[in-house]
Amino acid sequence: MELSRRGFFKVMGASGAALAATPGKAKATWKSKAPPDAYGCLVDLGRCIGCRKCELACNKVNGLPEPEKPFDDVTVFNQRRRPDDKAFTVVNRYYTGRTDERNQPKPTFVKVQCMHCQDPACASACITGALHKNENGAVTWNPAKCIGCRYCMVACPFQIPAYEYSNPITPRVRKCTFCFDRISEEGGTPGCAAICPVEAITFGRRSELLKLAHQRIKRDPVNYVQHVYGEKEVGGTSWLYISQVPFEKIDSYNMPTRQIPKLTETIQHTIFSYLWAPITLFGILGGAMWTLNRQQITGKSGPGKEKEDRS
Amino acid sequence: MINKRPTFWLTFLVLAAACCLLVVLGATPDVAASSKKTKNPPKPPARVFPDGTPWVPVDQVAALKRAHEPVPPLVMDVLIESPMERQLRLNGKAPSLKDAPYRYMVLDSPILKHKDDPFDDLYGPVRFMHLKHAAEVHDCLVCHHYRPKAEHASETTRCSACHQQPFNPAVPGRLGLKAAYHQKCIECHKKRERGPVDCKGCHEKRVPDHSKLVKLPDHPEPITVTRECLRCHDREATNMLTSAHWLWHGPSPYTVGHEDQFVLGKGTNTINNFCIAVKSNWPRCTSCHAGYGWKDADFDFSDKTRMDCLICHDTTGNYYKAPPAAGMPFPQIDLKPIAEHVGKPSRKTCGDCHFQGGGGDAVKHGDMNSVLYYPTRNCDVHMGGMDFQCHECHKTRNHKISGRSLSVPVAEGSRSCEDCHGDKPHKYHSGKGHEDHNLLNHHLNEHSQHIYCQTCHSPVYAKCKPTKVWWDWSKAGDKKRKAKKDKYGMPDYVWKKGEFRWVESAKPAYAWYNGRVKRVIIGQKVDPARGVIRLTEPVGAIWDRKSRIFPFKIMRGKQMYDPENGYLIVPHLFGPDGYWKTLDWQKSFEIGMQAAGLPYSGQYSWVETAMYWGLNHETMPAENALGCAQCHPALNGEQTCNRCHKDTRHLDFKRLAHRGTDFAAMKAKGRDVGALIGQTDYLNFKALGYKGDPIVYGGRFTTIPLGGSVKAQNTSQ
Ligand code: SF4
Ligand code: SF4
Ligand code: SF4
Repeated sequence: MELSRRGFFKVMGASGAALAATPGKAKATWKSKAPPDAYGCLVDLGRCIGCRKCELACNKVNGLPEPEKPFDDVTVFNQRRRPDDKAFTVVNRYYTGRTDERNQPKPTFVKVQCMHCQDPACASACITGALHKNENGAVTWNPAKCIGCRYCMVACPFQIPAYEYSNPITPRVRKCTFCFDRISEEGGTPGCAAICPVEAITFGRRSELLKLAHQRIKRDPVNYVQHVYGEKEVGGTSWLYISQVPFEKIDSYNMPTRQIPKLTETIQHTIFSYLWAPITLFGILGGAMWTLNRQQITGKSGPGKEKEDRS
Repeated sequence: MINKRPTFWLTFLVLAAACCLLVVLGATPDVAASSKKTKNPPKPPARVFPDGTPWVPVDQVAALKRAHEPVPPLVMDVLIESPMERQLRLNGKAPSLKDAPYRYMVLDSPILKHKDDPFDDLYGPVRFMHLKHAAEVHDCLVCHHYRPKAEHASETTRCSACHQQPFNPAVPGRLGLKAAYHQKCIECHKKRERGPVDCKGCHEKRVPDHSKLVKLPDHPEPITVTRECLRCHDREATNMLTSAHWLWHGPSPYTVGHEDQFVLGKGTNTINNFCIAVKSNWPRCTSCHAGYGWKDADFDFSDKTRMDCLICHDTTGNYYKAPPAAGMPFPQIDLKPIAEHVGKPSRKTCGDCHFQGGGGDAVKHGDMNSVLYYPTRNCDVHMGGMDFQCHECHKTRNHKISGRSLSVPVAEGSRSCEDCHGDKPHKYHSGKGHEDHNLLNHHLNEHSQHIYCQTCHSPVYAKCKPTKVWWDWSKAGDKKRKAKKDKYGMPDYVWKKGEFRWVESAKPAYAWYNGRVKRVIIGQKVDPARGVIRLTEPVGAIWDRKSRIFPFKIMRGKQMYDPENGYLIVPHLFGPDGYWKTLDWQKSFEIGMQAAGLPYSGQYSWVETAMYWGLNHETMPAENALGCAQCHPALNGEQTCNRCHKDTRHLDFKRLAHRGTDFAAMKAKGRDVGALIGQTDYLNFKALGYKGDPIVYGGRFTTIPLGGSVKAQNTSQ
């Protein structure tokens, strides 16, 4: 059931291998570049009340355009949303079958944004180094370096980077910045974490957050799924999630624990070593991505794709 | 203020020209004609006490001061123990209500402020009824869940001692103050299914600064302003379209016989004994309508651009509607700066209409008048003590404002004291030296089943300003008659209107009331031969368990009646052909009744009417509510609580029973309450249907346990 993603990477692995003349060598030389003391955020879905204040804060701190529907409008939950160039984070609502004391369906709210992977696929796919994993953990985009190839969008396993298609002159790649400027300051916190009224988002050093996350799920085994999402997924992410409902029920893809760059870089290096035009890579990656997306849209891909809302 | 502006004369000329144009076009003859002689708009009320000293809402200021105290150093070491371990350690000495030092708090710690965050100012601080929560939860340790390790620290150390900035690496996992509040409040409210769980349930949402958002030319027309509002707020305007403040009619769920209708209202068919009715008198009456230009029956209630947003949302205090101009503002006022500073309604915006009902300050309402702009704590504890704005109680959703009254039928939701104070509102707040309060509170809470809070907590009405209680229209028209001033300085006569009587700090009329109202509407047959016609009247009876005793102002007067048709007459008063110009009743009645759509026989007589007005505001502070002995004659003799309670250790029964409203102190402050000093049987038990004091004769459903022997005991001593 969890095949779609994994299937994709298998495909990728296969094509990479097929293309690679010396795959074994490339694999052997790959090394994680994860910063040792990265910041992170622990999102506790058991705490989130779906107030959408994080969306509002993100909009304000990043100077994003006013949304069509105000941030206190809960009707947006009737659709599943994705972060885009006008909203770096969105909160979605899931009814997973849980009920409350009055037998009413109990929602689970899930905040979505860039995971700030420890070894980000987006950065490694970027041929100019426009996307960069900073020492503090933030994966940021540098407009001066970006050539608009959009490899990052294809490479990101979470489909995060968004492109300003509506801006033909100076289109930018947009995504959560982990509030790079704010957290670079002494005592600074990301906008979303600062505003969250219930501290559903805990900001801190990733290593500390991991401890905290394990502590919390261990203390409440009745309610919490005993898994810290992002600890191992795609080799680890700066943003971590703990949840009271199984992760596959809330659209979190069942990610491989391998670092994606290990794979993509292998492909890339191979390609480049054969001087293949980037467009070819784009084609392959894009093709695979397209297949995957089709599967998701048609609902063929397994777990937790509960598109209907019982609100 | 306006006079100071250099552009004033220019403004004036422009507006004067505009007025002339209106006259020429004949668009609104009444409006334009009257605006020719409009005076300058009034000045906003001064932020001072009646004696001229600066106004201070004492309880609010004290609570804010506590909230803003410097942050104590963070408690690093917390004693983590389970509730059971803690109970064992405390060994029966757990903190209780008597340890609660503060009744009322404002949650507004500087810890919660981050000036750099662009979202810092979204919501206002939270009013927190600390003692009420303590009493409801009945266990201090539910909120004060852990304590500092330090031995000298209090078992109920304040929240902000342990919870300060979030994400402090020195105390990993410790919640910040904001999250600590929200998690505890929401969790508990959800669990108990009581209390708000949404943002606006506790917080006031702040209105963003509109000075950059509003784009208007200089000196815009009122409708231009509304158009600008509509640019962003069409949804709000759509909600407004079906609201009582726009339509002047709406749902009447509490009016007997009209429970499921949406037609009753002053805009349609209600009648009173002040200026009688709106129909045919629009421009005068509708100068308080939240719209522009309702001057006749043809007003277009679907036209959103006719809405007056500023009348409720002005925060400058300078917006005023011109009295007889069908809702148009004073033409001198520059609306641009007002539109640029819109915000939440206030006592000022609501009061400008609701304090002035009946054509002048304090005329209609016995419990609302201009004193409430900046009242003393003793005048109204909510508004004067804690700076409550009207909408904080009258919760509003989709521009439908909750609250109900007897005077008008429309109710868009109901509010009662119990919504905040609970049905056992008297908290067991003992404290050292007040052990006797527990006994008292128990009995007071029992009383809540039989009397409304207002009965004891508003022992007099028109406490701060005289209100009209008698209006005799039959005497109108004598231009030669000189008005005499009564002891409050109020006139007893105006030729346009007739004869008046006023009262100040008066004792209310008490009646059983179950929340429903009997009401006479325009065209309804009434028979003066059966006594005074009651235009509004509470429904209730001593045997009805849903009824409780409620205080009322009764407005009495004489008004016009059509004996042939058997209904009350709507007079045409305002305008060139109105009575106030012509002094011709016949003509006035013909036009008025035509506007009301009813035949007029040509015969008229004067009949006496009465109208009940509920008293909900001007709430006294608790310590000044009616006391036991003020109502119960049985407690005025030798015996008080010791009629039943034999154990007198620590308790001064006399003191307990004889606390209450200090009429002598009120009199010393100039209030007209001399006759009320030393009174007992304040509510008049017999008039309410009791045999006498329930302490002696028993309550309406029960008898006092020792009731039978009470009399004997008393006489034998
Ligand atoms: S989630 Fe996507 S965009 Fe964000 S760091 Fe990882 S790969 Fe890059
Ligand atoms: S970290 Fe900053 S940019 Fe990312 S979602 Fe939060 S507020 Fe938005
Ligand atoms: S601000 Fe916090 S509680 Fe509100 S939706 Fe975002 S994560 Fe959830």
